Amino acid sequence: MGRLRRSRTHHAQRDVHRASRTRARTRDLDQIQMIDLDPKNRAALEAQPLDYEKPGLAQHYCVECAKYFETDNALRSHWRSKVHKRRCKALREPAYTIEEAERAAGLGREDKRSTHTEQPVLIEPIV
Amino acid sequence: MRIEKCYFCSKSVYPGHGSAFVRNDAKVFRFCTSKCHKNFKMKRNPRKVRWTKAFRKAAGKEMTIDSTIEFEKRRNVPVRYDRELVQTTVKAMKRIAEIKARREHAFWKNRIAAAREKLRTHRKKKLEKIKASASVKLVEPMAVDETETIKVREKIKVSSRSALVPGEGRSMGMEID
Repeated sequence: MGRLRRSRTHHAQRDVHRASRTRARTRDLDQIQMIDLDPKNRAALEAQPLDYEKPGLAQHYCVECAKYFETDNALRSHWRSKVHKRRCKALREPAYTIEEAERAAGLGREDKRSTHTEQPVLIEPIV
Repeated sequence: MRIEKCYFCSKSVYPGHGSAFVRNDAKVFRFCTSKCHKNFKMKRNPRKVRWTKAFRKAAGKEMTIDSTIEFEKRRNVPVRYDRELVQTTVKAMKRIAEIKARREHAFWKNRIAAAREKLRTHRKKKLEKIKASASVKLVEPMAVDETETIKVREKIKVSSRSALVPGEGRSMGMEID
């Protein structure tokens, strides 16, 4: 007999599902914006000690995209790429947080700290 | 018992419903449905997804600044049970909900009216532009002549033996002896 299964049953979802697994989870935009882009943390991330588990021994790291590169050349060409520029643009606007979700639902906070709209200190990503 | 809010769509998540994701920095993300969870996993920004509350608030579709919204709060200080207090609270909740509904309706009406006005001016502008360009000829309604014939109802005589008249042994009805 011939082929019984109909064609076109794949919907290009495999990689989407794989990327969404918890073990493959990358850093979220709000984490990058509020923690990683802080100059002190940024310097630490860019000068990491040799790590044999990471790509390129963790020596070529793009902070905005939270990604390791094999060589310095690859990192530099990544900085020029559209993916990186798009990411920088996304990082320029304030990240969505749990507090914002609650505020949208009409649920405020009791304490004094965050009664006003909590705006994260925006740190401009280096393009 | 605490009613949480969904991270993605800001709906209420009641105990025993939905799911939660705890990120490795101990932040808890709650989701009302698998739909919201999936959208989160796709790393979508709720502010850009049109069906979420966050979008509606950010785009000015819903009331954001109002004193009636200020009542609901996450309070981390427990309150000792007091029958009187509960009664007055329930009473106040009902009244506030009433006022809030009225204000929301007024807000919606205002928003729609503004949008309609905008659409009208846009249409007018467009029409004038077309008229001025002269490359497009608009179809004008044809002139209708006023002398219309007045219809007179005529009476048509129906003979009693017609099939349209019941009886005479020709009707469709049942015959009764």
